[in-house]
Amino acid sequence: MNAHKDMAMPFEASSDRRGRQKLDRETVNTLVVFGLSIVLIVCSRFISPALGSWSQVLTVLILASFLIILSFGQGLVILIGGLDLSIPALITLGGVLTTTWIGTGDAGVWYMLPAILVVCAMVGAVSGIGIVWLKVPPFIMTMATSIVVASVALGYTSGTPRGGSPSSLLWLMKSWFLGVPVVIYFTLAFILFGWLLQNFTALGRRLRALGTNRNAALIAGVGVNRLELVPYAISAACAGFVGMMLVGYSNGATLRMGDSYMLPSIAAVVIGGSSILGGSGTFIGTVGGAILLTTLGTVISAIGLSEGWRTIIEGAIIVGALLVLRGEFLTHVGNRMLTRGK
Amino acid sequence: MSTDETRLAVRIAKIAKSYGPTVALDSVSIDLRPGEVHALLGENGAGKSTLVKILSGVVKPDSGSMSILGSPYRPHGIVDARTQGVATAFQELSLLPNLSIAENLMLPKMPRGMLGLASHRTAMASAGRILMDYGLAHFDPDTPVGVLSLSDRQRLEIVRAFTHAAKLLILDEPTAALADVEWLFELVRRQKSLQTAILYISHRLGEVRTLCSRATILRNGRSIGTVELSGASDANIFEMMVGRSAREIINTPPSAGGVAPVALGVKGLSGGILNDVSFNVRQGEIVGIAALEGQGQRDLFRTLIGLTKTNGGTVEIDGVRAQIASPGAALRFGNGLAYLPEDRKSEGILAGLTTASNMVLPIISRVARGGIVWPAGERRAAHETAAVVDLQQRYLHFKIDELSGGNQQKALLARVIMTGARTLLLFDPTRGVDVGTKQSIYEAIRKFAADGGSVLFYSSELPELVHLAHRCIVLYGGRIFAEYQGDAIDEQTIVGALIGHARGAKTEVAA
Repeated sequence: MNAHKDMAMPFEASSDRRGRQKLDRETVNTLVVFGLSIVLIVCSRFISPALGSWSQVLTVLILASFLIILSFGQGLVILIGGLDLSIPALITLGGVLTTTWIGTGDAGVWYMLPAILVVCAMVGAVSGIGIVWLKVPPFIMTMATSIVVASVALGYTSGTPRGGSPSSLLWLMKSWFLGVPVVIYFTLAFILFGWLLQNFTALGRRLRALGTNRNAALIAGVGVNRLELVPYAISAACAGFVGMMLVGYSNGATLRMGDSYMLPSIAAVVIGGSSILGGSGTFIGTVGGAILLTTLGTVISAIGLSEGWRTIIEGAIIVGALLVLRGEFLTHVGNRMLTRGK
Repeated sequence: MSTDETRLAVRIAKIAKSYGPTVALDSVSIDLRPGEVHALLGENGAGKSTLVKILSGVVKPDSGSMSILGSPYRPHGIVDARTQGVATAFQELSLLPNLSIAENLMLPKMPRGMLGLASHRTAMASAGRILMDYGLAHFDPDTPVGVLSLSDRQRLEIVRAFTHAAKLLILDEPTAALADVEWLFELVRRQKSLQTAILYISHRLGEVRTLCSRATILRNGRSIGTVELSGASDANIFEMMVGRSAREIINTPPSAGGVAPVALGVKGLSGGILNDVSFNVRQGEIVGIAALEGQGQRDLFRTLIGLTKTNGGTVEIDGVRAQIASPGAALRFGNGLAYLPEDRKSEGILAGLTTASNMVLPIISRVARGGIVWPAGERRAAHETAAVVDLQQRYLHFKIDELSGGNQQKALLARVIMTGARTLLLFDPTRGVDVGTKQSIYEAIRKFAADGGSVLFYSSELPELVHLAHRCIVLYGGRIFAEYQGDAIDEQTIVGALIGHARGAKTEVAA
């Protein structure tokens, strides 16, 4: 009886459009993306018995952790309506600086790692300054930064980065705790941090306001210019950190170590339900997108297709996923899920 | 078809147009005779510009009919209207800045050369002839329109309309940017002798009396009546524009203490078209700004809040000289200055965020607990002020774009009140909201002032100024034209002042 009363409340005479409680588009999107990943892993058993096993799932999660951290930064940039194309260059920068400044062993790692992240963040802030004050479009500015950074890295290493991985990074990427790789605990903590930052802090709220309507945010008293630098700096630091993780994972740095991450970092965000125009999205959705993309990549490579076919199928699936996950369809699904629940 | 109808150049009968729930035109009927200059008068929002858009083919009416020389007139667009002999000189000029004067005059039909391509030379020659004909021989037809001054662009807009108007010419505020009106008057008289009907829209009664023989008055989307101008006094016309029904009995706010300290002191402020404006707003006082469209009110508010560059003058907040660079800085300066923007869609609401998030955005760091902003915490913070503006609590967790315009406006007013700023700048705070919401908004503003806050607001609605303001300042051409206090704030007096007629009790402008 009471429940009925509550249900009737929103129907009360008003010109406001919210007729009934419906599932949020973002929530449905996140559920669908995670659901698809699980279905994909389960089904992959039919392709190859090695797939879908526990150890295989853990491998996918380790690989996904790189993309999750990258797409957090990319997601913040996309949230404010920008785009960061400098991610590969900053992965390389983070990796190269780690092997050359620290190298094998762990000397000074506790201040060197943060220092490297600060260097990366400053590079990102420079992109931001170009975008805000020189009014260069984000994708051109970040691409310019990317070219400069890549060239500097090339010159600095004379083509072949020296040195190996600090032992603490080897520990992060290679050791296990209670049957699960350490890096997965770390990634879980990062997800919690990123989710809170994007959706439940003053900073996240201001960024979302900026991405929704810059003018309205300015008039509401948000210092939009300085704020706009922040996502670029965070994205660059995230990329730098992934560079360090990759150093630990493969015990060394190469100049092209970040190349394969640029489009996936954008795709994960968009598949995760964020609008490419900014102003919407949750980090949890992005995490789902990153896991889905990584699973997909693993399954496709397990089938043993050649690199060319692999790229084509991946591209087709990403476009397909975007079409399916877009607006109307999801609202529809959300409403139907609710109706069935009644 | 009666002979009476065929003698008319243009007949507009019972035209109506709504945008969603907003009725722009209720029922408008006007008859124009050939060779007649007919004035269209009305306050802001009376429906003049909608009627202009319908006549020039930009929008289609919902109902009603139009005919020209007895045959039905249903334009599909501006170009179609032009080919049927109806042309408009728009108030917001419709020239293409990156094309030349000649191209702007010729479009959409560029003269063709031998190969069927647009012929530059022929275009230049015929544009030159047109310019000569209309007394603008000093214009070079090859000049891009973008480099012309505003008044030259307005001249060009007018000339272009004249060249296409065989049957009906619509001039929408043609003198807004013109210094030399005699040029236009001469052209109008000449066109009149060619039997073209001319619909002349202007806020300036003097001009209207010089040029026009009859006038139709619009009010709230209806044509109230057509008068012979020779037989109607200014007072008659003002009364028709404002209407008796506008004098609703709404309680006037209590008068402010004239000795309270000055909260906002403006001296010689210039910026944009605003020119040397000085006034004070005292604590507990509600000061209204009255102005026709584009008289500097926008620049006044935007300068105060740091969105438009100041060209001179000083602003003092609570006696401390302030140089405000951004709305954020305005909020943090002294006791604070908060701004309710003009257009809630593009400058106000953040679509996709909840109403509570929208309300607390300026004070979001104060709402955070241990760095985390919980939705429940936001609602708790918004709760009290929502009650002040009479916004129902259940709306707080709705996304703000799911609310009606009136409720959105209440939420935005709550946002500026919640900032804790002691001076509010409200730009047309009740634009496009219903009567009930208006009352709630008035109540909230009065309560804010009664608690010692000061309010500066602009309104496009005269009754609102009369009922809400302790003091009313009239802006005209970027300057303060008149200032009225208390009972002297009277709709008809203000209407006069708005169009540059100082009537009745004009007090000395306070320095």
